[in-house]
Amino acid sequence: MRNRRQFLSQAAAVGASAIAPLSLLSRAAEAATPDQPILVVFELSGGNDGLNSIVPFGDDTYYQLRPKLGLRQEKLLQLDEHWGMNPGLGGLHRLWNDGQLAIVHGCGYAQPSYSHFTSMAYWHTGSPNSGDAYGWYGRLADAMAPSAPANYLVNVDTQQSLAVTSRFHTPVVFDEPERFQRLVLRSEQGVMNDFETTETGNPSRDFLNRVARSASEASLLVREAWRNYRTPVDYGLVPLQLDKVAACINAGLPARLYYLGFRNNAFDTHVQQANLHQRLLTYVADAVHGFLADMERLGMADRVAVMLFSEFGRRAGENTNLGTDHGTANVMLLAGKGVRGGHYGQPPDLTALDETDNLSFTTDFRRVYATAIDGWLKADCADQVLKGHFETFPIFAA
Amino acid sequence: MRRTSRYLTPGLCLLLVSLAASADATHPHLAPIDAAQWDRAHAAHLLERAGFGGTPAEIDRLTALGPQGAVRYLVYFEGAPAADLAPFEHSGIFDPGLDPFPPSRPATTKLAEETGEALGIKVKAGGNRPMQPIVNKFFYWLRASMLETDRVSQWWAERMLLSPRPLEQKMALFWHGHFATNEEKVRDYRKMLQQLQLFQASGLGDFRTLLIAVAQDPAMLAYLDAGVNVKGSPNENFAREIMELFTMGVGNYSEHDIREAARAFTGWNFVGTDFHVNQDEHDDGEKTFLGSTGRFDGVDIIDRILAHPATPEFLTRKIYRFFAEDNPDPELVAALGVELKAGGYQLRPFLETLFLSQAFYADSAMGTRIKSPVELVISTYRKLGLDNLPGAPDFNLVTGALGQRLMHPPTVAGWSYGRSWITPSQLIERGNFALNVVFPDIEFIPEDRYPVYPTGDEIRSVHRRLRAGHDMAYATRPVDAASDMGESMMAMSNQVDREEAFNTRYGSYRGWQMAIERVKPIERDLARLDLSHMVLTQELATPRAVVDYFITRFFSVPLPDDVRDALAGSFEENLGTADVLASGTNMEEPLRVLLHVMLSRPEYQLG
Repeated sequence: MRNRRQFLSQAAAVGASAIAPLSLLSRAAEAATPDQPILVVFELSGGNDGLNSIVPFGDDTYYQLRPKLGLRQEKLLQLDEHWGMNPGLGGLHRLWNDGQLAIVHGCGYAQPSYSHFTSMAYWHTGSPNSGDAYGWYGRLADAMAPSAPANYLVNVDTQQSLAVTSRFHTPVVFDEPERFQRLVLRSEQGVMNDFETTETGNPSRDFLNRVARSASEASLLVREAWRNYRTPVDYGLVPLQLDKVAACINAGLPARLYYLGFRNNAFDTHVQQANLHQRLLTYVADAVHGFLADMERLGMADRVAVMLFSEFGRRAGENTNLGTDHGTANVMLLAGKGVRGGHYGQPPDLTALDETDNLSFTTDFRRVYATAIDGWLKADCADQVLKGHFETFPIFAA
Repeated sequence: MRRTSRYLTPGLCLLLVSLAASADATHPHLAPIDAAQWDRAHAAHLLERAGFGGTPAEIDRLTALGPQGAVRYLVYFEGAPAADLAPFEHSGIFDPGLDPFPPSRPATTKLAEETGEALGIKVKAGGNRPMQPIVNKFFYWLRASMLETDRVSQWWAERMLLSPRPLEQKMALFWHGHFATNEEKVRDYRKMLQQLQLFQASGLGDFRTLLIAVAQDPAMLAYLDAGVNVKGSPNENFAREIMELFTMGVGNYSEHDIREAARAFTGWNFVGTDFHVNQDEHDDGEKTFLGSTGRFDGVDIIDRILAHPATPEFLTRKIYRFFAEDNPDPELVAALGVELKAGGYQLRPFLETLFLSQAFYADSAMGTRIKSPVELVISTYRKLGLDNLPGAPDFNLVTGALGQRLMHPPTVAGWSYGRSWITPSQLIERGNFALNVVFPDIEFIPEDRYPVYPTGDEIRSVHRRLRAGHDMAYATRPVDAASDMGESMMAMSNQVDREEAFNTRYGSYRGWQMAIERVKPIERDLARLDLSHMVLTQELATPRAVVDYFITRFFSVPLPDDVRDALAGSFEENLGTADVLASGTNMEEPLRVLLHVMLSRPEYQLG
C-alpha cells in the first residue's frame, strides 16, 4: 500500500500540491502564542523494561531476579550510589547531568492489565479499569482551548491515537509529511479542493467543511514546515518523528500539545532482549536529546518539555528466553530545561513482589499527567481532565 | 408503568412519577409525521438511518409505502423478503485441544511443563525444543482466530450490503459498539461470531433478554475477566461496565453498589462457547444493591438496574444519538425513555415510534449525521447497487484505517461516533477510499495472506533466513525493527544452534504458516462498476444532469449551485463534449473521475 501511495502522490504532486501561499505559514505563526509552554508526549509501545532502563544496581535482589539479564554496575551510566542507566541511554544521561531529567518511579495503577491493548487504552484515556470515548490528551486540549483553534493538537502517527481523541478539536494527524496528502488525479485537480466557506445552518456540515479546509491547509502547512526545516543537530540513527515536531515548532504552528511514539510494539522484548533493548533505548535517548538540543538552537528550550511512558513495565524476573514478560509498574520520565532533575516517587520494593511476581505500583500514573498539566502547562485543569484529584510532583517551578 | 412497577422501591417510584409527569402525554415532537408530508427525501433518510441507504428503486418503494408502511417494512419486516443469506462458512481451524485456551504463551508452556501436554499436543520425548510444537500451536490459534475473525467481519459486512432487512444489521452494529468486545483479548473467533449472532437475532427484541444474554455471553465474559470474578475475590470489571457503559451511566450508583454487584456475578463463567455458572465460586450471600437487600444473583442485579430510572434514559439517549442526531433535546430523550420503559423495554415498538416521529425528520436530524466508517463503506456500495462486497479495497483494512474495525472496538466504551470520526487525515483517507473503489489499487496486497503489521517484518525475515539454511537460533534473532539495516547488522555465520525448550519467534512464524494453510482466503474480486449504464438508462443528456443525478443518488444534502456548475464543467472537460449521450462508449472513465471527486467531498460524509 505504501509504495502505491508514494507513487501516486509523487505523480500527483507535480500539480496537485499547489505551492502554499506565502501567507499560510506566517498566518499560522501569528496565531501561535509565543510564550506558552508546549508538551510533547512520547509513548514507548510494547512495554518498556523499566528495570533494565533505570537500573537499581545497589539492590542485590535485582541481580537475583535477573541473573542473566541484570546489567552490571560497571556497564551502567551511573546516576548515583544506587541507580544507573542502561548504557544505551547516553542521551538521557547527559540530560540528567544537566539537571534536566526527572525520573518518576513506580508508575502504574491498581488491578493492572497485562494486555498491551487494554493497558494502553487505560493510559490513553487516563481511565484505568474503565474507558472513555475521549483520550486524556484530547480532553486536555478541550479544557485548555474549548474554542478549538486550528492546529492546536498534533499527533504524528499513521493513525490517530485514542489519547488525542477530542470532543472539540480536530487533531492534526500525519505520519510522513510528504504523504499527508489527498490522492488526486490530474484531471480532478481543478475541482478537488472546492469547499463551501459559508455557514449552511447544518452544524455537522459546517464542521466537515471546516475540517476539509483545515485538512487542505494543515497538510500544506505540515508539508511546507517540513520542507523549510533543516537542522545541524544530530538526532541519532532514528529521529523517531521528533524532527517533525521540531519542524512544526520551528514553523510556528500554534500547537501546544504534541503526541507521538515508538511504534509497532517495539519494546515487547520477550526473547533475547539485551542487545535489542539497549539499541531501542539508544534511539529514544539520542532522539530526545537531539530534539531538546534542537529546541535550544531554536531558542525554544524554555518552552518545551517531553514526557515518556510505556503501557506497562516488564516482569521483575527474567524469563527462560533471555527476555522479560509483561509486567506492571514502571518509570516515567520528564525531560526539558524547565524540569527539576532528580528522582520522584517511591521505587517499588523488589523483595515484595505481588502474587504474579510483579512490582507493586507506588505512583498512580495520573499523578504524572497532573504534573504535566498543572505543573508544566499551567493549565490548571488536571482535576477536570483526569476526573479526580491527583497530587502533583514538584518537578516544575511553580 | 404497571408492567414494571414490581421492581420499584418507593423512592424510585417517586422519581419515576415526576419524570413521567414532566413528559406527560409524551413530547409533542414524538407525534407521528403527517402522511401527506411524506416524500422521497423522508424515505431516503429513513433507509439511510434504519439501514445503510439504498438504490433509487429501493427508495421509491419506501416512498410508495407511506410513513407507516415504510417503517413497518423496516422494523417488523412486513412485506420484506426473508433474509436468504448464507450462514458463516467456518474454515475449520478449531479443535478441542484448544479449549480452554491458556491466557498467555508462558501459561501454555508452564502447563506443558507440569502436565506433559498442552493445547492437545504432548511434549516431545527427546531432542532439542521438546515444546516447540505446542508453542507453534499457541501462535497458530492466535493468528488463525484473528484471520478468521476478519472473515466474520467480512461476512457481516456482506449481510449489511445484501440483507433485505438492513435494520437487523444496523441494530447489531449499534449493539456491537454498545457492548464493545475486542477479539484481541477474547482470542476466539467462535465467541465473537456467537456474540454477533446474538445481536443479529435478538437486537430488536427486548432489552432485558438481550442484557441477560450479553451478561452470559462467553465473549463478554472473557473480555471483562469473568474468569477471575470468584467468591472471596470479586473482580469488578464487569459489574462496573454493566452500570457505567451498558445501562445507567456514571453518577447513578456508588462504588459499594459495584462491589455488591460484582459479588452477585461471581462464578459466572464459560466453558468453550457455553455459559456456565461455577456454583462453588458463586457468592450466595446477602448483598445490598441500589438500596435493596437480598441474596441476589446476576439476573436480580440486572432487574434492579432496569428498574432504575437512569437506565431507560441512558439507553434512549444512546439509541437516539445513533439513529437520529448528535445533540438531542433532553426532554425528548426523557419522554422516549419513559416510553421505552412503559413498553417493557421492547425495542421494536420503541423504534417504530422513533422512526415515525416528527423529531426524526426535523431539520436538526436530516442530513446532519456523520456516517461512521462502516456506514460510509457499506452505503457507498449499496448506492452503487453492488451485489457483492468487493475484496479490494479490503473491508477491514479500510474501515480500520478510518477508525472503525469491526470486532476491534478501541476500548470497552466502544466507538465515540459523531465528529470524532473526522480528522483531517481521515477525511482525506475517506476520499482515497472512494478512489480505490472507482479505480482499483493494482498494488493491493491482502493482509490475510501476507502479514503486514505489526509482526510481518519479523515473520518474513525468519522465513527468509530459515530458507537460506540458517539454524533456528540464528534465523530467529531479532531484527532491528527501527533501522532499515535489518538483517545485514546480524551477519553471524555458522553459529551453533542453541539448546532450549522452545523458540517463540519460530512459533510465531510457524503459527502463521499453519494459520494461512487452514483459514480460507477472502475473495478479492473488485467492484464491477458500470456508471455509463446508469447514465444511459437515465437518459442524462447534459453534464449538469449527470452531476444532479449523482447528488440525488449518493448525497443526503444538496450541493450549492456554484459547486454543481464547477463539477459539471470539469466533467465536460474530461468528457471532451457537452453531449453526454453521444459519448456513450467513452464516458466511463470521466464518470468515475467525477464520482471520485464527489464522494471525496465533505458533504458526502453526511447521512
